[in-house]
Amino acid sequence: MSHSPARRAARRPRAAVVTALAALTALTAAGCAGPSVGATGGSDEASAEAVDWSQVEPAQEITWWSNHPGASQEVEQQLIDDFKAETGISVKLVTAGADYDEVAQRFQAASQTDDLPDLVIASDVWWFRYHLNDQIMPVDDVMEFLDADAADFQPALYSDYEYDGRHWAVPYARSTPLFYYNKDLWEAAGLPDRGPETWAELEEWDASLKKEVPEKGSTFGLSTGPSWGAWWFENMIWGQGGAYSDGFELTLDTPEAVAGGQFVHDLFHESGVATLSADDAMADFSSGLIASTIGSTGSLKGALDAAKFEVGTAYLPDGPQGGGTPTGGTGLAIPSSKTPEEQLAAAMFLEFLTNTENTATFSQSTGYMPVRTSAVESDTMKATYEETPQFRTAVDQLADKARTQDDVRVFVPGADALLNDALEQIIIEGADPATAFEAVTPRIETAYTENVEPYLDAQD
Amino acid sequence: MTTIATPRAPEDPGAPPAGSAAPERTAPQRPRRSRLAAGRRRTALLWALLLAGPNIALLLVFVYRPLVESLYLSTLQWNLGSPTARFVGLGNYVEWFTAPTTGRVVTTTLVFTVATVGGAMVLGLGLALLLNRRLRGRGVARTVAFAPYVLGGFAVGILWLFMFDPRYGLIQEVLGWVGIASPEWYTNRPWPLVMVIVVYLWKNLGYVALIYLAGLQAVPQDLKDAAAIDGASAARTLRSVVLPLLTPTTFFLLVTMLLSSLQSFDTIKAMTQGGPLGSTTTLMYSIYVESFVNGRAGYASAVATVLFLVLLAVTAVQLRFVQQKVHYA
Repeated sequence: MSHSPARRAARRPRAAVVTALAALTALTAAGCAGPSVGATGGSDEASAEAVDWSQVEPAQEITWWSNHPGASQEVEQQLIDDFKAETGISVKLVTAGADYDEVAQRFQAASQTDDLPDLVIASDVWWFRYHLNDQIMPVDDVMEFLDADAADFQPALYSDYEYDGRHWAVPYARSTPLFYYNKDLWEAAGLPDRGPETWAELEEWDASLKKEVPEKGSTFGLSTGPSWGAWWFENMIWGQGGAYSDGFELTLDTPEAVAGGQFVHDLFHESGVATLSADDAMADFSSGLIASTIGSTGSLKGALDAAKFEVGTAYLPDGPQGGGTPTGGTGLAIPSSKTPEEQLAAAMFLEFLTNTENTATFSQSTGYMPVRTSAVESDTMKATYEETPQFRTAVDQLADKARTQDDVRVFVPGADALLNDALEQIIIEGADPATAFEAVTPRIETAYTENVEPYLDAQD
Repeated sequence: MTTIATPRAPEDPGAPPAGSAAPERTAPQRPRRSRLAAGRRRTALLWALLLAGPNIALLLVFVYRPLVESLYLSTLQWNLGSPTARFVGLGNYVEWFTAPTTGRVVTTTLVFTVATVGGAMVLGLGLALLLNRRLRGRGVARTVAFAPYVLGGFAVGILWLFMFDPRYGLIQEVLGWVGIASPEWYTNRPWPLVMVIVVYLWKNLGYVALIYLAGLQAVPQDLKDAAAIDGASAARTLRSVVLPLLTPTTFFLLVTMLLSSLQSFDTIKAMTQGGPLGSTTTLMYSIYVESFVNGRAGYASAVATVLFLVLLAVTAVQLRFVQQKVHYA
């Protein structure tokens, strides 16, 4: 059944009243602003006409939705104050959720209403969905107008946001997973002061480490969850030569991918090297319960502060087929529906937040990687690396081992959560990896055919 | 509006039925009286509109409009946040009824609802009977029992989550004193569901107890005295006198508790996010997941409609059948 595309013109902004309460009652569930029915896609309408930024006066007050990654509320507020002193523009910092997913859900729910920020957190698994929905604008033009020197962004981090030859976000709190280890336990076990180079090596070390950990503890611990489990697992599936997907083509049924699933299965259920942390593996690591874990770069400062032992950081171990590390964390995007004045002010603040000095400041106080090459070499970071060499690991790992994430995880809405479901089946319930992957495959395929494919066609 | 019966005037007690004799006597009076009555009716209608209007308007805008809109959305394939959508008719409903996860969601909803509603009713009645006795510190006890109900569900969830923590929580500590190893509350089925049910029960027990307490205090003392004189034991009095008189209360609680339990969201969101592996995903929670996590707003609206129909059916059944068993004193 087809509907006239002309109805799209009838689209009108509606109040935000229903959206926040939508999930709370059956009556209002999902009853928010309505779409127009008809041809899908059409993302060109938001970005077609180029704005002449030199003719635009920046707005004097803008709003930023953040979840303060890496407990960064104070440093974010400090940067806002500095920006106000420099430009006179006020930035209202809104805690829009506890994590990337919550901010994104609020942002989705508020679309087509007036309750939108001028700058918003856009994590690895969410920015593309914003783009598919025409919710954000490309930043290339405005960053060029502001002389933001995009070439100085770490290429692996900036290119993550590239699609159709344009960039849809700017890297902000960017991370990789890191291997964290308890140096005191390592020493007690008579191990060299470094992380294991391969997963096989960690398994060898297990016998000597097990004697040193507390009764309920283990050599290695992990936690799962959305925006988390399917991220670190990329290292393991790549290590066996597999991947979630090749482009948008799911490859979960290949022997290599299943081998990846089998590897993590055995880590928990055969060799018993790993245990599942009830909630947050970093908490179990910091308390000394587990001798090592995988954590985000963004947890580094918190771990250094919380742990009573010396914290070691290392690259993620390799599998028989190599491995590598996914990049992750979040960028910042500018909503497409705001006025050019608001967009310009937001871009100015974005440029300020990510300039050499400020990305170094942010990195120093959280552990996230500096997003600019010049910042890595800056005096601030050099001094930091001198004092706490753990900060250096992520930056080196990025240069040595970074690999672009599999498209399906980051580009297909909901795929990350479904992949995490499959992993939980394997890790918590000891499910057969092939069966677990098979169970989520049709759901990921539906998500792709419903929510990605039609929009890609429309853009071509 | 001549068909409307005019109120009979006191000086006109033997007025014959309409259409009979003596039209010449009533005819001249009728228009005057009708005008007066119509005027009164208009005024009354105006007042009714004035007083009820704002409420009706709010209901229309915030309850019925979203309801209708949600019905409409359930026929679409719509990526939440996208400006465009595709009409799919009943496709979303077909998908829900055939999806492999539907059975699990329905079972979880059933277990959660029966456990929370049944548990809260039984325990709440027990608590109310206890609080109805002349005990010292009864006022304080009543306040304490009711307090959890007024706390925010999300905050309650977070606090209990700390207590349930199988490594560092208060509950594993207490279990440790008696030599029991803490279950893996967060990860191993069925413990996450048990945990959520316990917290929901704890939070709503005070409400049930309070309403029952009010019901108990309305039970006439002379009936209980009469039962005592007839030699009825306390248990027999409870069964044959008190409980039948409490049936209106029980019915009211059953309706409200069922509705709120089927719609509960905050505790689950705060504690388990529907996981692990969907083991705490109720129908209500699945609407949230489909809509806000998976972005499938049309499908989520279809699930919402299913939940709406379930609620409607449950309420209708209760009004039709259960209410017959209610004994109004």
